Amino acid sequence: MTRVIVIASGKGGTGKTTITANMGIALAKAGKKVLLVDADVAMANLSLILGMQSSPITLHDVLLGESQVHDAIYDGPNGLHFIPSGLSLDNYKRVDSERLSGIIATIADQYDFILMDAAAGIEKNVLSALSAAQETLLVTMPTSPAIADALKTKIVAQRLGSKVIGVIINFVMGEKGEISKSECSSILELPVYGSVPYDPEVRKSFMQQKVLPVIARKPDSIAAKEMQKIASRLIGVQVSNSDDHKDKKGFFSKFTSIFRRNKK
Amino acid sequence: MFKRMARKVASRVKDEDTTIRPTSQVDFLKDFLSKHNYVFSQDFEENLEILKKKHLVDDFVVTNFDGSVVASSNGNGQSDGIMGTAMFSYIKSEIPDSEAVLIKREDGWFMLFALNKKVFIVRAGSDLSGIELKALALELSILMEENKETKMEKRVAR
Repeated sequence: MTRVIVIASGKGGTGKTTITANMGIALAKAGKKVLLVDADVAMANLSLILGMQSSPITLHDVLLGESQVHDAIYDGPNGLHFIPSGLSLDNYKRVDSERLSGIIATIADQYDFILMDAAAGIEKNVLSALSAAQETLLVTMPTSPAIADALKTKIVAQRLGSKVIGVIINFVMGEKGEISKSECSSILELPVYGSVPYDPEVRKSFMQQKVLPVIARKPDSIAAKEMQKIASRLIGVQVSNSDDHKDKKGFFSKFTSIFRRNKK
Repeated sequence: MFKRMARKVASRVKDEDTTIRPTSQVDFLKDFLSKHNYVFSQDFEENLEILKKKHLVDDFVVTNFDGSVVASSNGNGQSDGIMGTAMFSYIKSEIPDSEAVLIKREDGWFMLFALNKKVFIVRAGSDLSGIELKALALELSILMEENKETKMEKRVAR
């Protein structure tokens, strides 16, 4: 049975799009039929993260009723399929995002997973994405403003009848002031699907001639490994909960790394 | 002085963690969900009140297409019901594919929406999207169905 999951957060900049792209690739690598949908119709950038920005027909055209949904589906990395949203501002005001639910329903049976990247906030476009998905996966950061917004998103998702299945904590640095994984879980009353460490490799993935999500470019990086685990949990595979990203460097290794960096 | 400077340099190099857990904010957030916990009771009228809070609306009236009130969150939706149903039926006859009717009045927005052969008349401070209207209507429909079943059970028990 197809699982339609929306990745939402309320707050902007939590890494929803990056996580959607990476999880999509991880699920596709695991042999699942995956469709990624950029449901952020106003500030679409999933196509940039996937390196697929020049798609002529987009979700905008489908929502406007000017194109068929099958014409907006493209082949992405590792065999996943992808529906981009338009990068231009020309059409987005005319787009009726309330049609999203019906569009997803027409193609749902062709996939194992449909992951939708929602916009930040709780405006109409976000509501459309939340109501088009049976399940919601929240992405937050270990800070109080991000968790407050995730709480609001959870309430809105439930109001619209979407089941909130869990939360992913992103940009974890292991600092004393961060809200811990167990606290996040207790505040949001949700299981934590994964805790993705801050990893410069994620950022570096956008700064390449050929842009590819970190899970495809550097699958051994700590963030990629954690996102791989999250995808496994989504499939239902048991994974160990070791916090292997807590590799705090000591004084001397940090000191010597300064010189190493300078040599480069 | 040298010691203090050396400690400062070491702290910079080691990138020491100077952050502190924001206890008061965490406590505030811990309490957040409990304020938005909507637990339905056995009482239908009470449940309508809960639904009103959950969906952030001021009032709603559910009517049959003849204008008879099925449920009302303010206990007295007769006039709104008749007016709303008449208005919805008129618009529907003129524009057959219309899904919802939005009316802006001084005291807020009136939204008229049909589902499962019922007309839902919703009053809210700001306009709701079709998605929000549908979510409210669906939950109300379930509640009304459950209420009907409970009434039937009571009748059978008697």
